[in-house]
Amino acid sequence: MERVERIEASAETVEVALELALRRLSEAREEELTQDDVEVEVLSRGKAGILGLGAEKARVRVSLRARPEQGEADVAALGRQTLERLLELMGVEATVRLKAASPEDAGSPTVAFDISGDDLGILIGRRGDTLASLQYLVNLMVSRQLKAQAGIVLDVEGYRERRYQALQALAERIAARVKATGRPFSLEPMPANERRIIHLALRDSPDVVTESAGEGESRKITIFPKRLFNREELGRGDKG
Amino acid sequence: MKELITYIAQSIVDDPEAVAVTEVVMGDRRIYRLSVAPGDMGKVIGKQGRIAWAIRTLLRVAAIKEDAHAVLEIV
Repeated sequence: MERVERIEASAETVEVALELALRRLSEAREEELTQDDVEVEVLSRGKAGILGLGAEKARVRVSLRARPEQGEADVAALGRQTLERLLELMGVEATVRLKAASPEDAGSPTVAFDISGDDLGILIGRRGDTLASLQYLVNLMVSRQLKAQAGIVLDVEGYRERRYQALQALAERIAARVKATGRPFSLEPMPANERRIIHLALRDSPDVVTESAGEGESRKITIFPKRLFNREELGRGDKG
Repeated sequence: MKELITYIAQSIVDDPEAVAVTEVVMGDRRIYRLSVAPGDMGKVIGKQGRIAWAIRTLLRVAAIKEDAHAVLEIV
């Protein structure tokens, strides 16, 4: 269906013409528009004429205002509402703050929230399980209601950011060790988003190659010296 | 906790009216039975049980806050 974005209308006065144009545009788009949603151009103020002679109707053009942030604003508003309600029902006292998305989240349209309050270790959970579940459900609930994919990222008092820094530092440290010893080194099992951080941190390393192995909860990364990796032809491209 | 399960379930199914949660208390154990419209079962379970797992994880937090053990059954 073609979306009408602009409509003209004429009437005795500018006000009436504007009202008419708004109503027609609303009908055409099947949504309730107000004057705030449109740009108004007065094409003619109209002339009363003399005894009906030379009378001219007022003519206006209304154009839908660009709303590039509409989707994001909806996600932010409904996301906050959903998150606050969930926390309340979970019995967690916390404050939700909208924050700028971190570089880790780049690439998708995201709305990021940081949760702060007392006793938040429980909200992060073992290996970030609870935080991951909360984020997954908030996205699911908001997406279903807006009928559009929501990209909401949650953090608890900067946990994710600190974890991101810590994992990058860990990757560098282990890579240096693998390079020095020439022996592969396996990291503790990690969730997918954390493994991704390690893979990305060492993607361009001239000395080491990373690979994930194992299933589900026990899936972990091994860092190989590049030399050894090539010689033993372990390169199955099994990332993730 | 009943309200938490109801709120999540109603936000993700196609038929929120059909969502029902019953609570059975056995000492410090509470069993919640969630039922939804037949067509919505997949919506609350998810691929490989991922949604059910996430709901159970949040339920665990709520239970800890109330010093109880909570079990979620989807029927």
